Amino acid sequence: MKRPVWVWLALSSLAVAPASAATRPHYGGSLTVELSTWIPVDSTTSALSIPITETLVRFNARGGIEPGLSVAWQRDADLKRWRFSLRPKVTFHDGEPLNGATTAPSLLAALKKKYSDVSIQTGGQAIVIQSSEAMPDLLRDLAAPSATVFRSSVANPLIGTGPFRIAAWEPGRRLAVVAFEDYWGGRPYLDSVTVGLVAGQARADIFEIPFGLTRRILPEGIAIWSSAPRTLVAITSASVQPALLQALALLIDRAPIVNVLAQRKGEAAFSLLPQWLTGYAFLFQTSPDLSRAKQLVAQVHPGPISLSYPVNDVFLRSVAERVALNARDAGITIQPTTSALNNPGGNLRLIEWRINSEDPATELVRIAAELGAGHVDTGKPETLYEAERSLLERVIPLVHLRETYGIAPRVRFEPSKSDSFALHLEDAWVQP
Amino acid sequence: MSFRTKVFLSIAATAVLAVWIVAAVVSTLVTQSFERRDAQRTAALVSQFQREFDRRGAEVARRIEAVADSDAVQRMALNLTGQADTSSYFTLAQTLAQEQSLDFLELVSPDASIISSAEWPARFGYKEYWLTPAIDWKSQKFFLKKEDLADGQALGLITVRTVKAGDGMLYVAGGRRLDQEFLDSLPGAEAMKVQLYRNFEPLPPPESLGSKLASSLVQDVRQQPREVTRVNSDATITAIPLLGRDSQLLAILLIENSRAELAGLKKYIQETAAIVGAAGVLLGLFLSFWTASRVTRPLRSLASSVREVALGKWDTRATVSSSDEIGQLARDFNGMTEQLVEQRDRMIQAERVAAWRELARRLAHELKNPLFPLQITIENLQRARDASPEQFDEVFRESTSTLLAELGHLKIIIGRFSDFAKMPAPQLEPVDINEIAREVLQLFEAQLHAPGSPVVETKLMLGADVGALPADPEQLRRALRNLVLNALDAMPSGGQLTVSTSRSDSKIAVEVSDTGEGLTPEECNRLFTPYYTTKQHGTGLGLAIVQSVVSDHKGTITVRSEPGKGATFRIELKVGSS
Repeated sequence: MKRPVWVWLALSSLAVAPASAATRPHYGGSLTVELSTWIPVDSTTSALSIPITETLVRFNARGGIEPGLSVAWQRDADLKRWRFSLRPKVTFHDGEPLNGATTAPSLLAALKKKYSDVSIQTGGQAIVIQSSEAMPDLLRDLAAPSATVFRSSVANPLIGTGPFRIAAWEPGRRLAVVAFEDYWGGRPYLDSVTVGLVAGQARADIFEIPFGLTRRILPEGIAIWSSAPRTLVAITSASVQPALLQALALLIDRAPIVNVLAQRKGEAAFSLLPQWLTGYAFLFQTSPDLSRAKQLVAQVHPGPISLSYPVNDVFLRSVAERVALNARDAGITIQPTTSALNNPGGNLRLIEWRINSEDPATELVRIAAELGAGHVDTGKPETLYEAERSLLERVIPLVHLRETYGIAPRVRFEPSKSDSFALHLEDAWVQP
Repeated sequence: MSFRTKVFLSIAATAVLAVWIVAAVVSTLVTQSFERRDAQRTAALVSQFQREFDRRGAEVARRIEAVADSDAVQRMALNLTGQADTSSYFTLAQTLAQEQSLDFLELVSPDASIISSAEWPARFGYKEYWLTPAIDWKSQKFFLKKEDLADGQALGLITVRTVKAGDGMLYVAGGRRLDQEFLDSLPGAEAMKVQLYRNFEPLPPPESLGSKLASSLVQDVRQQPREVTRVNSDATITAIPLLGRDSQLLAILLIENSRAELAGLKKYIQETAAIVGAAGVLLGLFLSFWTASRVTRPLRSLASSVREVALGKWDTRATVSSSDEIGQLARDFNGMTEQLVEQRDRMIQAERVAAWRELARRLAHELKNPLFPLQITIENLQRARDASPEQFDEVFRESTSTLLAELGHLKIIIGRFSDFAKMPAPQLEPVDINEIAREVLQLFEAQLHAPGSPVVETKLMLGADVGALPADPEQLRRALRNLVLNALDAMPSGGQLTVSTSRSDSKIAVEVSDTGEGLTPEECNRLFTPYYTTKQHGTGLGLAIVQSVVSDHKGTITVRSEPGKGATFRIELKVGSS
């Protein structure tokens, strides 16, 4: 799939951060990172990439599948049996070699979530994945962050094959990783990276800029890197009539949400997947139409509606209040309420969906699954568009948010490997 | 109603009335005192409210001026030119409001758009047109205003200041809440119930305001904003309207003084009065007994003596136990009974004398008639023996015959008196009164049908269910005989004689009626007096004997008669008491 917008975003955003071509990469040094919200170490859902684990295959910049820990693969005609040849001379962080036996357990656990009767046969540097049902999307499934290959021990619960290995891990507080000297792709430039959970301090080499932290208080010389929009903020309906949901979609003015609440760190969203990912998102774009919304409201005569948002999420609370304010203009009473993690509640729910991969089909399938929408035909761009249009009857997209990080002047990135989807610390170095 | 009851009621009523009057007076005085105190407290609180209102207003004005003068706002004002991007100021109002401890703060652009709102952050971009008219906000220190919030509305003490921003003005509007917390902080408010009804809300149900009185007060003040005070049994409530900048009614201050303390005190007074009243009643009860024992006991003794006298115990004397009016009454009573006894004795003496005189007169009369022929006969014998001895024998025979006849007559007279004197006690036995009546009438059959005698028709009306009674049959026969004889004597020219018997309850009655000339009332009264007679040759003992017999049988005899209409004698005898 062609992604001209994606390329433009990557180039424009990297203009402020990457090192100049004249600067040579430098080995050694430590990097500090501040995050405002903790990102689980076993996930690659953040735009800040600190690779500890890897997958058998991965998406390339064009959205295609390229080798990862697997160098080659074959499949049978009915897509029920897949054979992968593992990359040779790859070791885990504890020195254990990568082979079928060490790869299969984590893979099998990940695939079981989708394919109930899947089985893995191992033999040396090869594994065979087979199931009684066809697995046409297996490569996408294996490229997903949930299908990383790792091992666990009592001392270290996450032993991967990536360029960084865990040196210290205090869940929810601090993560320290060091360069994996035996990484099959070559040692990363940085000796170590320390990630801390400190909101708004802006003292680290790389720090996340939350939505409420505006540019005006940033230290001088700080470069800002913004990812491509990869978080969708949307309203889902639990028990609201479709006409009322349509009215809400028409009356919500997304521009103030993007410009003020998100401090321009995003784009108004009218589709589930951002424009850079699909290329067709502009087709869903509409303008606020309060009069039409009022007509729909007059037909429905809605009572008070609750709109729940995750507790302690300041940004989503302000979005919920703004939505309630817009709704009040059309005569709809919306009461923003907090929701517990295990009990979303409310007639409407304000949610965030992170885009974890650069494959629109994968992301749409995941969103459809979370909405309980059943099978999505992702074979062609047209069917993908139709599937998303169908899903939009249940969801009101509000904004696609970028992740924004402040980067200290001494941090440099290898320009040839930079993209707008993620900030790869394995390609970063620090000036001495 | 007894004297004791009257005394008791009088004392009890006096005690209860006195206590009630005292309780009512005390209760009224206490109520007035409480109402004066409530009015003073309310006035003090209103004054305190006004002072605190002014103080907080001045403080709000000072804080808003500090916000307007702050570097952040001044820089913002400098940047507000043309199509400036104000999104970065989104959270500024919250920060400044927190610094200045303000509940409300909005930074509003010259075109009335909210740039930043502390109380409702999501409201940025909305318009606040009430700020933009040409008003000298500096001259308006502070005012009340209704503030819209995400979760409703609030009442605020607001100040507006302006900051020059290019060609226009940046408006800084903010303040603090005027809410229940503010009211509770007022000195003296803890002693009262102070509420704030906000006029931009629906009228709450009475229970949320505490009472129907408060609810009605709010309604009245909403219709016509003015200070109003109302009182009911539970509370005194004063409603004070709070007006906004354009004199619109924004809120009503309700100051409620509970009357629970007063009600408790009044209840205590009432309970005390009830206890004292009850004590008065008990005291009345005690005093009534005491007074009764002092007053009614001699009276009752006197009344008992009166009843004794009425029963014939003329020698009864009342006890004189005091020297007061009752003692005097007892002495007078005793004097009266002594006089009555003396008079009775004198009457008995007089009656005895009269009876002896009557007896003497009757004896003289009865004896004189036969004695005169005796004297004449004897004198005739003497003359015959002296004048013509030859005829003496013949005269002697005739004279002795006459003498014997008159002596016999004398003997009869003396026998009658003897009989009356010797009236024996009745020998009681079951007697059929109807049979007695038949026998008596039968005795007179020959006399009634004798030639030359007047025609007297007899009529015997005997009751079928009369039955027997215990009586002396001979004495009853004698009494009836005398009555029948009297009736025949009363009808010298003939007439109708009726003898009837009847029974009612425990009495048997026998009536003997004639159709003679009848009796006058005076004759009726004296009829049973011994030796009284209306006949020329009667002894006056017949009806006396009848009365004696009836009296000996515990019965009664009465007569009813009118002149010219005959007379009826009625004897009533008790069936079981003889």
